[in-house]
Amino acid sequence: MSRVIVTKYKGTGAGKFYDEKIYRLLLDTVFKYIASVYPEKYLQQLFPGGAVGMKTNCLTVFNPTMKPLADALSQAILDMTSLKENDIIIWERTGRELKNCGYTLNISARGRRCLGTDAGGVGYSDEFYNSGSVSSLVSRVLTSMVDHSINLPVLKDHSIAGLSAGLKNMYGAVHNPNKYHGRNCDPYAAHVNNLEPIRDKHRLTVIDAVRVQYDNGPGFDNDSLEWHNGLIVSEDPVAADRIGLEIVEYLRRKNNLPPLEKVGRKVAYLDSAQELKLGISDLSLIDLKVITIDDYGNVIAEGSELF
Amino acid sequence: MDRRRFIKCVSCGSVLAATQTELVPEILGGLQNVCAFEYTNELSEVEARYYTKLDGGGIECGICPRKCRITDLERGYCGTRENRNDKYYTLVYGKACAMNIDPIEKKPLFHFYPGTDAFSLATAGCNVNCKCCQNWEISQQRPEQVQNIDLPPKEIVDICRARSIPNIAYTYSEPVIFYEYMYDTAALGHEHGIKSVMISGGYIESEPLNKLLPHLDAIKIDLKAIRPEYYRDYVDGELQPVLDRLVQIKNAGKWLELVYLVLPTLNDSDAEFKELAGWIKTNLGPEVPLHFSRFHPQYLLKHLPATPTATLERAVEISRAEGLQFVYLGNVPGHAAESTYCPTCGKIVIERYGYRINKQNMKGNVCRSCGHEIPGVFAG
Repeated sequence: MSRVIVTKYKGTGAGKFYDEKIYRLLLDTVFKYIASVYPEKYLQQLFPGGAVGMKTNCLTVFNPTMKPLADALSQAILDMTSLKENDIIIWERTGRELKNCGYTLNISARGRRCLGTDAGGVGYSDEFYNSGSVSSLVSRVLTSMVDHSINLPVLKDHSIAGLSAGLKNMYGAVHNPNKYHGRNCDPYAAHVNNLEPIRDKHRLTVIDAVRVQYDNGPGFDNDSLEWHNGLIVSEDPVAADRIGLEIVEYLRRKNNLPPLEKVGRKVAYLDSAQELKLGISDLSLIDLKVITIDDYGNVIAEGSELF
Repeated sequence: MDRRRFIKCVSCGSVLAATQTELVPEILGGLQNVCAFEYTNELSEVEARYYTKLDGGGIECGICPRKCRITDLERGYCGTRENRNDKYYTLVYGKACAMNIDPIEKKPLFHFYPGTDAFSLATAGCNVNCKCCQNWEISQQRPEQVQNIDLPPKEIVDICRARSIPNIAYTYSEPVIFYEYMYDTAALGHEHGIKSVMISGGYIESEPLNKLLPHLDAIKIDLKAIRPEYYRDYVDGELQPVLDRLVQIKNAGKWLELVYLVLPTLNDSDAEFKELAGWIKTNLGPEVPLHFSRFHPQYLLKHLPATPTATLERAVEISRAEGLQFVYLGNVPGHAAESTYCPTCGKIVIERYGYRINKQNMKGNVCRSCGHEIPGVFAG
């Protein structure tokens, strides 16, 4: 069984962009429920030392991984572990993408780092990593700069893959993402995530599902957005995406759109990822907890039903 | 602006391509004293040719048989063409990442103005992914991952005119993916009497090729194998469209030469050599030159050995026995099969050592010994 926590916010700020404080309330709730130990102990076990990378999705400036989420998560880790500010690296393919989405670049030895793979001295690995038919160079952020990786994507529809969440987000970690888009990204999305540094350093997936684009992704479409007001969090990257898929499909039904499979975008890569033992795609094997909180972080609903 | 550096060719031979391979030039070599080049971080935003807008959003690229369907902000397989709000752009127009002045024999083109030079250039990107690629450091990168210079078509033509370089070669990576850049440069070159040659894998749709052909003077195609499974497993492409384009080029009357890179254990059986030669003879004619090229371990096939010379010699022998008249051996400097032999009298008409021509025993396009007409495009 793989545990997935969905935390939803039902306070006065719902239906608007969240600030760091609301994200922190959601994250604190996650860390209370994700394991049977105290949040501090949980995070200390997850990040015993070294550096932590957070891979965002800043493809579009209109619907990126929100900076307040990255900040809240960084702060939660700093508050509850022995890691230092400079041990946190928020990263993307390019610095330009981060900058355009409101992040402040910092490659110095002071403070939280925030950088693109294109930053001076970073770049891609010298050696190729392989899983399946395509081989790739992997961002040196993952291969040499961090010990632990947090996948920090946004949840959205994808015109080719069907779903863009955690697994698809790691396309931004390889030098040749364009080679992995055939056949609705199946099994390629699984193969990218099975590349050694991506697979072995993954610790946590935190999907920003506060505002979900259920159609016409991955580019921005204002007419296909719904406020879902939540985060999806799991140590299992496949299970997190599987729950993300349920949410996208639900929002499509709600908006009278056919299922992704009916429009030629079946998300088969999750099953391929399960076959590669990257995680669980089978819903019956996912231990889902849905927690709803108010403005003060009080739990106002708890269950295992998404909708 | 930190990466932006101004390079004065006058004072230095500067590194251009982010590469260390043998085939892509590392320095601006013969381009010193000609002009100044400037690195750029900007990609081009020139509308691509050959795409259709799809109902319900997105576009379908029509430049190569892959026919990528691309939605907003996504790129095609080549990594160089991007959909921006359902308008499709090439990001590499006028953005060269490798260039040099090469002998035409390096392409290799052995029957096209032997001994002349070609201003050779490439952009980043490719529409296939050969596991043996010698230039993967540019072909398998997106344009923002290499160092580019602004080199618009006019500047290329100006350089050629200033240096009396008679040919422009689109090469090193895959010119199909910088089609618009190649097309405009070739067309402008023709206006000034400069010839253009395309060095390609031939994975292109029929219509764009048809439109391009009048602006080209010679074409070299890498026919990577004669079996579809090789294209599937080692190229990530398809064989049949390439074969179709070869016939199209031949029927258009353009000078055509073929290269077959021989990879130990993967495409080097007698049966394949026989099949290959048979297909060429039947569909293109016995006079089309075929170059068997030696593989050196690199990119994703580092575990394979270099091609033994004996294997190449076997390939040459089988192809000649099948009736091909001009079969060469490449990447083995000094080998007798680098030279051109008259199919009638058997005498050497062009003697080569590597890319150098030692002796030419032809008058125009005719063998001096027996008067046999050697096919190709030769200086009068």
